[in-house]
Amino acid sequence: MTGLEDHDVKREKSDQAPEDRFEDQLAKLEEIVARLEDEGVGLEESLDLFEAGMKLVKSCRARLEQVEQRVARLLESEGGEPKTEELEKEEA
Amino acid sequence: MSDRTWTVSGLIRAVNEVLEQGFSGVRVEGEVTNLKPSGRGHLYFSLKDEAASLDCVMWASRASRLRFEVEDGLAVMTTGSLTVYPQRGRFQLVVDELEPLGLGALQLAFEQLKRRLDAEGLFAPDRKRPMPGLPSRVGIVTSLSGAALHDMLRVLLRFPNVEVIVAPAAVQGSGAAAEIAGALGRMAGSGLVDVVIVGRGGGSLEDLWAFNEEPVARAIAASPVPVISGVGHEVDFTIADFVADIRAATPTQAAELVVTQLERQVRRLDEGQSALLRDLARHRALAHTRLAGLAGSSGLARLPHRMRLFRARLDRAERLRAVFGRLKERALARLDRATGVLRQLPALVAAGGHRRVVDSRRQQLAQLARARLGRARATLDGHQRALSHLGPRMVLERGYSITTRAGDPRPLRDAGAVGPGVELHTTLARGELRSIVAKRAPRSGGGTERQVAEDQRSLFDDGSGGS
Repeated sequence: MTGLEDHDVKREKSDQAPEDRFEDQLAKLEEIVARLEDEGVGLEESLDLFEAGMKLVKSCRARLEQVEQRVARLLESEGGEPKTEELEKEEA
Repeated sequence: MSDRTWTVSGLIRAVNEVLEQGFSGVRVEGEVTNLKPSGRGHLYFSLKDEAASLDCVMWASRASRLRFEVEDGLAVMTTGSLTVYPQRGRFQLVVDELEPLGLGALQLAFEQLKRRLDAEGLFAPDRKRPMPGLPSRVGIVTSLSGAALHDMLRVLLRFPNVEVIVAPAAVQGSGAAAEIAGALGRMAGSGLVDVVIVGRGGGSLEDLWAFNEEPVARAIAASPVPVISGVGHEVDFTIADFVADIRAATPTQAAELVVTQLERQVRRLDEGQSALLRDLARHRALAHTRLAGLAGSSGLARLPHRMRLFRARLDRAERLRAVFGRLKERALARLDRATGVLRQLPALVAAGGHRRVVDSRRQQLAQLARARLGRARATLDGHQRALSHLGPRMVLERGYSITTRAGDPRPLRDAGAVGPGVELHTTLARGELRSIVAKRAPRSGGGTERQVAEDQRSLFDDGSGGS
């Protein structure tokens, strides 16, 4: 029963989109670039836009680089945290 | 045999023995009618053709192996044994095998499940979720021993920042559907992945069958993350393909869809970054250009020159004022002298000693003096008027002008002092002229000019000389 509840909580977590998803950040970045391409934007504002854009770039890159290449196998587990073990390349 | 009396049981037993010998393993073709599934899973129905009807029963142990659903109106080929059911004495076919006619059993099962799930809305386009924005954590549900896993890993590991989690499952044979559904469920519950690929390599319809079974379809539909199906070859369509959010033709293609998305996002990021840098540089350059343009604009560039001009004019004005001041002082001094003489006059007259004469004369003199004073005053007024006319302003008003060399406030008096190409400033009553000396006139003309210059000097240096 507790296992089921855990499962439900976890599902809710994964269903709930983080406030700024990767693609949302990318979309924002592209919006900023589009605004910067407008020559009417003043130097000050362009600096602000640039700064905001670079922040997004950094955040996106960080998200990307958080993920390290690996291959794991999902183990059967009764409730609790899901467990994985590295998968041997020979197996693959 | 004809005079033998049977018990009911004995007769039925005897008939059943005959039927067993002659009608075991008979194949009967007909249309299913009056289907009545029992609560225990047995199937009761009739097989009929145009003229006849035959009661049939298929026990649960056999019926549960059917992959499709028996339904009224289905044309089938059955294999079974004829018996008489002793309690009722009814003649019936006990069916061991039942196959649909026309379509194969698997096709029929496929069509039936597809129709049912479709009616439930499991294939609806609005249920389909798109590829996640950053599918960098990829779940794979497949067999560890299949070539499909190897193919998928080869493609996925092309991308440096990808994590692959495999939930192993048998993908063919009995129990495969349950294993696949279970693996999908574990993957769903783990919360470790952004997207799940479920699939296997090519094979016969029988090999791929697990992907046409309801538990797999339900597990795919229940997944909290998008599911990509990649089953068999391009021509193979399974129920899993219909339920999945994204259908890939093969396992390799499923992996490629993921990597393509990852690469596309990285490209977007790279492009965004370089566009940012480029735009910033452009904006800076633009600002620099504007600044340079302002600094180099004619207005600002000419400012120092204009300042010099103003200063020269100011200097000239100062000098003129000083000259005018001196003229005024001299005029006032002369006025004082005249007034002094007039004041002494009565005393000089009185000193004569002839009182009466003096007195009468005095009045005369006083009159005289007054007249004299009046004249003197008139003269003074005239002088003063003349003086005011003599101010440089009036001189200029009369059409004279003052010419100086550029940058030198002293009036030019000698044409000999300048040569061709020298810049001259001419102050007129209204406005100024800037000119370049084209040519110096010969001596005779110069004389006239000098004369003018002399006149100017005398005007400025001595008020009386000019009047």
